[in-house]
Amino acid sequence: MKINKNFALRKVANTWVVLPLAEATVNLNGMLKLNESGVLLWNALEKGSDRQELVSILTSEYEVSEEQARADVDEFLFKLIKVGCIDEQ
Amino acid sequence: MLCKIADLSIQVPATGDMLSRCKEYLTNEQVSADIIIRADLYRPHKYPTFDEKGVAYMESSIQFSRQLLNFNGLYLHSSAIVYEGRAYLFSGPSGMGKSTHTRLWKQLFGADAVVINDDKPALRYIDGVWYAYGTPWCGKDGINVNTKAPLGGICFLKRGEINSIRRLDTFEATTSILSQTIRRFKDKTTLDLLLQHLECLTSKIPVYELYNIPVPEAALLSYETMRSGAEEAGL
Repeated sequence: MKINKNFALRKVANTWVVLPLAEATVNLNGMLKLNESGVLLWNALEKGSDRQELVSILTSEYEVSEEQARADVDEFLFKLIKVGCIDEQ
Repeated sequence: MLCKIADLSIQVPATGDMLSRCKEYLTNEQVSADIIIRADLYRPHKYPTFDEKGVAYMESSIQFSRQLLNFNGLYLHSSAIVYEGRAYLFSGPSGMGKSTHTRLWKQLFGADAVVINDDKPALRYIDGVWYAYGTPWCGKDGINVNTKAPLGGICFLKRGEINSIRRLDTFEATTSILSQTIRRFKDKTTLDLLLQHLECLTSKIPVYELYNIPVPEAALLSYETMRSGAEEAGL
């Protein structure tokens, strides 16, 4: 699992958003906004973390159960896959 | 051929119909070009349905807009009208009524309101002022004037049941502009350069969203709102 090189996480007016670099027809209304934990997960993914490592990041940074963290990571990954910014291996 | 566009010297290849599109912009100045557009880099295979004119128009436009970023500038897919010394830009996806809206301004204000570009006006930030410029890249209708005016406001058009206008916040303004300017970046540095310009642009220029039916009242609403917005912003 890797973040597609054609996407970049940028801060726009105090909001973190995933911006496409190469899409010809970008639907910016459907642009992906990330909250603080999303940014944490994005940066970890960029460094090559796998699903289990993302779960560990959430449980160590936030007061969440392993089960909740797992659900949150899956939801995050699903959002990213849906807009096409993750290359599944 | 050397042209003066957006206060920059631009070398434009005279292929397709670019010579006739650029004739109001030709210059005899003996200066080196700020921007060189190269016909040898045109990619006709990207446009299988285009003739030579279409390819020359699209590809020169793309090269110009990419290099414009290096000169505190960007283009906005919009219809730009100048009235009372200010430029107002109406933007949005194709078919949203950009040209229709500036035509309504012309109906209201007559010859004092001038459309300076109906497709891709250039914007540049010079000595603390954002200017809008006519360019030869002006769409099918060929409406353009080689002139500039300080930018007074930008408005994104949406079809609506009634006419209503609201000011966009910085995030909405930035992402709306992002959807109607360069959309392919060769690298992250280019994206960051554009974001830098947009941060400056949205901090100085009021940006709106107008839901409208194409009637003169819609134009009056956008004019009154944008003029007072420009005055409040000291533009």
